[in-house]
Amino acid sequence: MTTSPTTVAAGVAPQRWQAPLDDAMTDTLVERLMRVAPFNQMDETAFPASIPLRGLLKNDTRIRRRAAGEVLMREGDYGDTAFLLLDGQARVTLESLTAAELGLAETPRRAGLGSAIRRTLATVLGPAKPPEVRDRIDARAADQRSVFVQDVSAVLDSKRTALLSPGEVFGELAVLTRAPRTATVFAEGSVVALEIRWQGLRDLMRFTPAWRAHIDRLYRDNSLRVHLRATPLFTSLDEQALERVASAIEFATFGSFDWRDLPPDPTAVDPLDRVRREAQVVKQDDPIEYLLLVRSGFARVSVAQGEGQRTIAYHGKGSVLGAEALLSADNASARWPVSIHAVGYLDVLRLPTDVFLAEVGTTSDKVPVADSELPARTLDYLVDRRLINGVEAMVIDLDRCTRCDDCVRACAATHDGNPRFIRQGPTHDHFQFAHACMHCVDPVCMIGCPTGAIHRDPATGVVRVNDATCVGCSVCANACPYNNIQMVEVRAPEGAIVFDQVTGQPLLRAAKCDLCSDQPTGPACQHACPHDALVRIDLSSPHSLASLVSR
Amino acid sequence: MPNRLTRRRLLNSSLLGAGVGVFVFWTAWLDASLARDAFATGYVLYGLVVFLAAYNLRKKLPGLPLGTSRLWMQAHAYLGAGSILVLAAHIGWRWPDGWLEGVLAASFAATWLSGVVGLYLTRTVPQQLARTSEQFVFERIPRLRSRVASDAQATVLAAVRATGATTLADLYANRLHGFFNRPRSLAYALSPTSAARKRLFNELTASRRLLTDAERTAAERLFTLIRLKDDLDFHAARQGLLKKWVFLHIALTWLLLTLGATHGLLALAFRGGPT
Repeated sequence: MTTSPTTVAAGVAPQRWQAPLDDAMTDTLVERLMRVAPFNQMDETAFPASIPLRGLLKNDTRIRRRAAGEVLMREGDYGDTAFLLLDGQARVTLESLTAAELGLAETPRRAGLGSAIRRTLATVLGPAKPPEVRDRIDARAADQRSVFVQDVSAVLDSKRTALLSPGEVFGELAVLTRAPRTATVFAEGSVVALEIRWQGLRDLMRFTPAWRAHIDRLYRDNSLRVHLRATPLFTSLDEQALERVASAIEFATFGSFDWRDLPPDPTAVDPLDRVRREAQVVKQDDPIEYLLLVRSGFARVSVAQGEGQRTIAYHGKGSVLGAEALLSADNASARWPVSIHAVGYLDVLRLPTDVFLAEVGTTSDKVPVADSELPARTLDYLVDRRLINGVEAMVIDLDRCTRCDDCVRACAATHDGNPRFIRQGPTHDHFQFAHACMHCVDPVCMIGCPTGAIHRDPATGVVRVNDATCVGCSVCANACPYNNIQMVEVRAPEGAIVFDQVTGQPLLRAAKCDLCSDQPTGPACQHACPHDALVRIDLSSPHSLASLVSR
Repeated sequence: MPNRLTRRRLLNSSLLGAGVGVFVFWTAWLDASLARDAFATGYVLYGLVVFLAAYNLRKKLPGLPLGTSRLWMQAHAYLGAGSILVLAAHIGWRWPDGWLEGVLAASFAATWLSGVVGLYLTRTVPQQLARTSEQFVFERIPRLRSRVASDAQATVLAAVRATGATTLADLYANRLHGFFNRPRSLAYALSPTSAARKRLFNELTASRRLLTDAERTAAERLFTLIRLKDDLDFHAARQGLLKKWVFLHIALTWLLLTLGATHGLLALAFRGGPT
């Protein structure tokens, strides 16, 4: 990516609350919110002067009104807001809905051909434009789209649901784990809810310990219910058995949610030390006292070899660890055949073995069998560098790449004349993991964004930067453990670099791969590669890379 | 079971074979029907050339849904390979007599051969490049070379300052300075070898017994820098070869398009009689 100053233009960098979540939030509304729970129990003095509680409510929240049957949040969508029910009652689905019931298209719609033709003609026939030109640089609120679910009444009749009452919080799971929503919530009657964006929820939790405890408790209860229902191991259990399993389960979290401590040069770190520093979940040869159900994060599965640990697999959300060993051995003496460590962080459910054997033990056909199609050294490489976090990682087969840079040119042509990736990166065997946003399972770049400019597209999960609300603070670029976000200097239409009138510094914007969401072709880089060298693949499971290796 | 790329090769080869079969049958039918088959095959041939050349235009329009580049590349390679048969049928399996036709046939042959060479290069050079310890972006190589040269000089000067000994400095001035600062020969650009690296390694190894401790430490650093410089030269040579080949192939294509259009216009202007 290129940024070289030429001439000067002046502007003002957007600030955190320059673009509130909703312009309709008035001081009067905030005043009324301050009189209802839980805000009337919060200590305003606990909030710093820079982030006052009232300012937070005014800028990071909005009122959502829904009529009976309308949807407040939809399963499968990526969301960066939670909801507090203020008035009326809502229903949350306890069973998954089909894509048709949710009103989801099979394939997300991409931009039309017309805009692609206009952009291409402008690029080919028009005068050469400087990179990173912005027509306007002030902050604007992000576009908001309404969500509708098809035939709500039929869905409500055929699915199990639970009632939500005023004062209850929902939607916090997706916000806290940066994962898709796990349930759909409808308005039972006329409903008023307060929608709180991620940054506001984070600050409310940070400065109000009681609310933090409440949200944590909700998160645990809700996640358990959702997770057990989605685990194939428990699908054949009746309600009573599921309740017994649920009551026996313990929660455990290893590592930290705010993991991002990847060293600048992972090769400089002693591999033994790296594994030692990862939080150990179980130790090889210890008795199996409980099964592990991975709820989020990644687990490194390794066996002792020589003085160190050799990675033999990695597992993410939905995996069950220990069942196979437990069922294949004499139950009383079953021991862990592997060690398990948390890669970054790992959120697991622990099910005692006696409960498992009593409730599920005979249905061993549902126990997933761990297998890995990749060699151990490749697994080591992927896990050590946490590349397993990538859902749309750019992998280049160096044995086929002619270094023609068609991918780079295609990316630049479709992104303001500046490519959104660097055709360099760590290399393993003949595969290069280029510096392009991987649209991670757990995008830690989103954690610190003060305005919510970096967000997941609700429908596709693509991590995007809303240029209108990006304040150029570089928090996301610094947080990305893979150096896949660049800060670029923006230019006025005549080509001059824009400088902040207040600070005198160039105005910056975060620039990263957006997977060409607005292109009819999909990722232009992959579309432009003539030699099948560049692919975008999911590294969160080893199968995609194994398929690439064996092609 | 063959892997995906092998299956694709088999499929594309089969399609090309079928296409050649249809073309042979069609030209035989033209011949049997006493049609002026040179015009018919000429249209097909020029159409093929235009389609093959259109791949470069497709590359200029990355945002449009015109099919993936790899699909175009496959079509380009297989149709390009088959086009030589269409040319042979068009010129009646003999070298043309006229000077314009001769030049045109030669430009076609040169373009076709450059395509074959390009196919070989694009299938072999990437594997050679992938074997080096680091991967380099072509445009960044001059800057990296300059940095390596500065680093080598600074390393040697630091050793001299530390001990006052000049053995390593003499070796650097006589044998290494040129390697770090001068461009490699044309022969190297065409066929790079590791001979220079090995020779310098041997000379540096042989001189170690004469060096002070500080110079030995500097010599270790020089080993690394020699390896890095050699890798940079290798990438510059091989990547440069690929870029020069693309330039040549496209230039020949433009020549072919121009001569072909001229030949077609002249042939149509002077065809006479019914077609």
